[in-house]
Amino acid sequence: MGIVALETSLGTIGPVSFNSRLWLSLLVVPPTCALAAVSTTTRRTREELALFAYGGSSWQIFLRYFFRGAICSLVAFSPVILLEFFATAPIRELVLSALALILAGGLFYSLPSLRRIRSSSFVEHYKS
Amino acid sequence: METRSVVVEYPSIRGVLRLYDQGVSFKVDQGDFLAVLGGSGWGKSTLVNVVLGLEKPFHGSLSFREHDVTRESFVKRCVLVTTSAAFQRPTALPQMTVSQNLHLALSLAGVPRRERDDRIKEALAFFGLDKIERSYPDGLSAGQRRRIDLARALAVKPELLVIDEPTGDLDGSATNLLIPLLRGLNRNQGTTIFMTTALPRQASQAKHQVHLGPPAYLTPENRMIGD
Repeated sequence: MGIVALETSLGTIGPVSFNSRLWLSLLVVPPTCALAAVSTTTRRTREELALFAYGGSSWQIFLRYFFRGAICSLVAFSPVILLEFFATAPIRELVLSALALILAGGLFYSLPSLRRIRSSSFVEHYKS
Repeated sequence: METRSVVVEYPSIRGVLRLYDQGVSFKVDQGDFLAVLGGSGWGKSTLVNVVLGLEKPFHGSLSFREHDVTRESFVKRCVLVTTSAAFQRPTALPQMTVSQNLHLALSLAGVPRRERDDRIKEALAFFGLDKIERSYPDGLSAGQRRRIDLARALAVKPELLVIDEPTGDLDGSATNLLIPLLRGLNRNQGTTIFMTTALPRQASQAKHQVHLGPPAYLTPENRMIGD
């Protein structure tokens, strides 16, 4: 829905050198992934506490969520990417936009966790 | 492990809350069983976090094998001394079975895959959890969840086991079971144990004890107010 809305409103004024649908999707991915990450805070905090208690480093936890966000973004946008592939879009542009999607999805899905883990109040959860 | 004059301060409405007013100092040798005894709000859990590197002291230092680790993270401390922790609040992941939780802990600790099954079986059997290894933590009692955390900590085969109030939410029978298990772990496997408790009777089961004092408040004028 976000892509369709953005495409309708911004498609005509998007960068000429890039395919508008792929690059517009980059505007949708960060807020969607960040919202998905924030909306599951309670469950994820429990998971982060467990992983931390199990000896996981903050970077291991960050990477776990980064890959989760990256895979979700790739799967969600695979129809758009495939559509552009069959529409004979330049491969270089397709790969670049797919990489940008993965990076944005992973980052915005994992950053709330990294911020939480690094906050001084995080370990207070271990105390009852 | 050795702490020297560790003090922790927190900002509070009444000024600054100062834990371990004169500083807490102790030494834990390999194979020791140390109990830290103190009332509620006196900083037992904070001391656990300081030992694990999850919180940094305001003043004082902490060393592992004579290396200053005061500002080092939990992961970096584990390189010097393999450490496992069981916190006051159960930490087992609800979407994984008891056995899967232990598998995850061992994989994060870098234990080779071929060794994991044996270690898990051993740890579950030690804490009497072998019959519920396929159960999910949310369907278990508080005592069983506590034992999952201990089994998870034990499966890593740590040199240092840090436990925060191990019997905090357990009934009398579970408590009577747990403390002898910890003593057996210390005696039979040589695991160094650092435990906090609010109960003098439990602390007396350890080889050594550290008694914490009540916290103090520092007002902006730096005036001491008793708790």
